Amino acid sequence: MRNLRMDQAAADLEPALARVLQAGTFISIAFVAVGTVLLLGGGTSPLAGGPPLSIGTIASDIAALRPEGFLWLGILGICATPALRVVGAMVGFWRRGERNMVVVAIAILAVVAAGVVTGVLAG
Amino acid sequence: MLVGLLMLAGGVAAGAFGSILGLGGGLLIVPLLTLGFGLPLREAVAVSLVCVIVTSSASAGVYLQRRQANLRLGMVLELFTAAGAIIGGAIAFLIDERLLAGLFAALLVYVAATMLSGLRRKAPPEPGTDDETPPAPEDAREVVPSDGGYLGGRLPVAALGSVGAGVASALLGIGGGLIKVPLMHLVLGVPLRIATATSNLMIGITASASAIVYLVRGGIDAYVAGPTAIGVFVGATLGSRLGHRIGQRELRVLFVLVLLYTAVEMGRRALGLD
Repeated sequence: MRNLRMDQAAADLEPALARVLQAGTFISIAFVAVGTVLLLGGGTSPLAGGPPLSIGTIASDIAALRPEGFLWLGILGICATPALRVVGAMVGFWRRGERNMVVVAIAILAVVAAGVVTGVLAG
Repeated sequence: MLVGLLMLAGGVAAGAFGSILGLGGGLLIVPLLTLGFGLPLREAVAVSLVCVIVTSSASAGVYLQRRQANLRLGMVLELFTAAGAIIGGAIAFLIDERLLAGLFAALLVYVAATMLSGLRRKAPPEPGTDDETPPAPEDAREVVPSDGGYLGGRLPVAALGSVGAGVASALLGIGGGLIKVPLMHLVLGVPLRIATATSNLMIGITASASAIVYLVRGGIDAYVAGPTAIGVFVGATLGSRLGHRIGQRELRVLFVLVLLYTAVEMGRRALGLD
């Protein structure tokens, strides 16, 4: 019975990860699209220089229908989607009992986190 | 408004070209933004990385659904490409833009030369396919070893090549498939179709690791990234649907000409002649 469950989990992992990637991309790109429509509709040139990322103001920017809120949320979603796929794979491999792959997934996430730290320290 | 629409249209063209020819959009987005819209090269690279993640995530989803990508092999290698991407992201802020332009020009010449030699040999295969590789079965687990067994004793070479692909991706705003696919196909013996699909899967985390470095350092302009990413997404979607109806050979000849012209312009920038 346990083997049957593991086979089922193995068969389900790739399609599940595909759904994570596709949903993450479509949702993120939808936010970017709304931001782009607001940006161009408002007559602002993309070359005007967009505001820097400020996570604290994204919600208020979206509430005020300012393009930067939608654009930044979409861009953050785009950047986070591959990492979400790795998290999904980590959970899937854990359920299958593939500890080596769980370690690989954790190491990938650690490297991505190191990128954030590197950027903060260097910035 | 006009600039935004032009940027959107440029993104559509880059996405469609890249998708039809099986190349990442980064190769075209960086020159489009630098030569077409006058953006600093580093800023163009950062925007290109965002676009590369979009196209990679969308197509990797399809490859995973069809079980063409080797998830385990991809994850092992992307650990190294991500590390390389962070190194590249850090280096990108230290080196001169003219050197970056020179590296990009060299990359364009390399791709143009590769495509030219392919044109001389025979009609090019469909993007992402290989004459010598049997078509993937409905369930490609028959082809893909479930243990990622391609690595064997070649992990050091694969790791080194993957780090190099990550560095190139972060420095030049490309997916790095130009390095990863030959690495997997020629060094690890992965069938080309699976190598292409697995490379596509890896590109997402590679580009996202370097994009995060640019993002945290304030290197991404959301106003430029928005229209360009939407254009690339639409273009790549259109390209994947229309690609089979367009003459590949004529398109490749046109693309080689575009690449060579762009290489000359990038070379002029590298030499300070622009």
